[in-house]
Amino acid sequence: MKRKLITAIGVAAMLVSVAACGGDDGDSGDKAGADGYAGQTLTVWVMDGSSPDQWQKDVQAAFEKKTKAKVKFEIQQWNGIQQKLTTALSEENPPDVFEIGNTQTPAYAKTGGLADLADLKSSIGADWTESLNKSSIYDGKQYAAPWYFANRVVIYNKKVWADAGIKDTPKTRDEFYADLKQIGEKTKAEPIYLPGQNWYHFVGLTIGEGAELVKKDGDKYVSNLDDPKVAAAMETYKKFQALSKAPKDKDEATPQQAEVFAKGNVGAFIGMGWEAGTAIAANKKIESDIGYFTIPGATADKPEGVFLGGSNLAVAAGSKKQALANEFLKIALSDKYEGELAKLNGVIPNKESLQTNLTGNAVAEAAAPAAAGGGTTPLIPEWAAVENAPNPVKTYMTAVLNGKTPAEAAKQVESEFNKRLAQQQ
Amino acid sequence: MTVQTERPPSGPVDVTKPDQRGPGEQRPASRAGALAPYLLLLPACAATVLLLGWPLLKDLLLSFQNLNMGQLIQHVTEWNGIENYKQALTGEDFWRVTGRSILFTAVNVVLTMLLGALVGLLLARLGKRMRVTLMVGLVLAWAMPVVAATTVYQWLFAQRFGVVNWVLDKLGWHSMADYSWTSSQLSTFFVVTVLIVWQSIPFVAINLYAATTTIPGELYEAAALDGAGAWKSFTTVTLPFLRPFLYATTFLEVIWIFKAFVQVFTINGGGPDRLTEILPVYAYIEGVGNQHYGMGAAIAVLTILILLAITAYYLRIVLKQEEDEL
Repeated sequence: MKRKLITAIGVAAMLVSVAACGGDDGDSGDKAGADGYAGQTLTVWVMDGSSPDQWQKDVQAAFEKKTKAKVKFEIQQWNGIQQKLTTALSEENPPDVFEIGNTQTPAYAKTGGLADLADLKSSIGADWTESLNKSSIYDGKQYAAPWYFANRVVIYNKKVWADAGIKDTPKTRDEFYADLKQIGEKTKAEPIYLPGQNWYHFVGLTIGEGAELVKKDGDKYVSNLDDPKVAAAMETYKKFQALSKAPKDKDEATPQQAEVFAKGNVGAFIGMGWEAGTAIAANKKIESDIGYFTIPGATADKPEGVFLGGSNLAVAAGSKKQALANEFLKIALSDKYEGELAKLNGVIPNKESLQTNLTGNAVAEAAAPAAAGGGTTPLIPEWAAVENAPNPVKTYMTAVLNGKTPAEAAKQVESEFNKRLAQQQ
Repeated sequence: MTVQTERPPSGPVDVTKPDQRGPGEQRPASRAGALAPYLLLLPACAATVLLLGWPLLKDLLLSFQNLNMGQLIQHVTEWNGIENYKQALTGEDFWRVTGRSILFTAVNVVLTMLLGALVGLLLARLGKRMRVTLMVGLVLAWAMPVVAATTVYQWLFAQRFGVVNWVLDKLGWHSMADYSWTSSQLSTFFVVTVLIVWQSIPFVAINLYAATTTIPGELYEAAALDGAGAWKSFTTVTLPFLRPFLYATTFLEVIWIFKAFVQVFTINGGGPDRLTEILPVYAYIEGVGNQHYGMGAAIAVLTILILLAITAYYLRIVLKQEEDEL
């Protein structure tokens, strides 16, 4: 009888405390008890390929040691992530911590789905690289923490290049083009695999030209694709795409360009450093032939513009484990593990002091020279809608590649582009 | 199923009506018996209400709201009256997609019915062994899950490694070696149509074959004695028997093809350039894809209304037939 009573009181107490957490949006709903957060599990969404198994294991161990709570990593795919994330954030039990693309962060900050991380910023974020932290700030508030950044490089097949008699990697755009031409003439390989909708590379080219994808018209944003600078970027893209047999209406993920490259008869492709891993997984023999170089720009002293892709870590505003989530971020983003991630994946860490981890990493050394001139898509909440399929920028690219002039193509997608930018939020 | 050997006379039919007894004569036992059909119908009705009625009601409610990422995450309900409908109905996109959907459905239904009927008649004429072989083939095509079938078609028609392009190339049509089937509106619709017709033929064929087995052989003998040729006996004997089946299957095919979301969406996501979006795909892309959920719901409601309008003719025939039968 007595035992039953104790259980009942225990249950009642639990209910009350759970209810207290639910009703409390703040940061103190789940303060650690005497034995930490024992028994709790924190759910963390990370994107496919972004964090190596080794890193997850190490962070998990450190987290468990410090908090006594467990952490569960769930791997997500980029395709369709916005729809999935929106739904998850609206539900009772959202993922507590999740990775979110830097260009998508402002839109989600605006929805109120992300928790304010001002405390985290003041405790560990004093020396976050400012340019990398820009996407996490909306309306002056810190809604996410910068995690890692990366830009594309040329991944090439050394054997194919040697067969074509090329000794050195190119330093300018024209040399790059001439080399690819030479591969086409002297070998049976496809010089470059460049599908028509590798739009991140195209965004990089526009950044190189100093072009903007949107402009302000009164108080709203509209398409700026008809800018001659955007057209110039597209012409460059088209020139290189003509050397590829890849479909003009597909992006780099359908089929996975690294898997096409893995077959061994492709000279090069433009991708993220970790895509080399995908190629090696598809064909082990290619490993020794893979090399990397910076995407060459118009002149030798300035590499091509690149899209500075990156991810932030955010905490769901609806999560009932705010304090625990903050503990996790403090560990995951600590110098030790942030440095480990940079080292393992060859990505740019969120602090300049940690960049020493990249020394000797072939990918990072190829990527780093371009990063300084890198940029992103416009960091405005309206932008997220543009990236939803069918992305009008991709439509624009395919239209030009299929023979329309850039001006005609810009006109063709303008209404769709503007409609998305103006979409009621 | 009863077999009619003559056309029903046009005058009133001599049928005994079951409920000719006066109301006062009913006994309690038969009253309980009268309840039985309703009890038996109950599970089906409950399932329908739960699985169809409730989502439909929800959809209707959503269609009068401004519901986007923000509202969904924050759980705010923002009623905006008929704003979604107004936007959909006054925009040219909606009407363009509607026209495209109707044309798409018409082409596919005609092709399916024509080819399906031919295969059905073929089944009736084949010897036993060939018939079983063909039936097995048809049933397998019919039983294949839609997503699996669509994936196979994607592979068949893949640009670089697809077997269709390979065959065309080997046959001497070299310009097709690297042809991208998803690059234009017509070629995408071509692939989708081949897929849908292939998936739908078995149902029509087997249905019509079943119908032909109800035709008594003597009728053909009689027709032959009267000097009817093959065509004549087809139009005067076979066709009248098949007519109700043709109506029913056409009706079902219209519904299935009009809402062929999976095939169209999986093959090319409504692309290129949103040119192969049919109404259900359009609703999905506007609603879920663009995270403009209220708008998507409104388009879905309009889609149901349009489908009702298209099938109204058949519904009338059915209702009339049932009246006649009473």
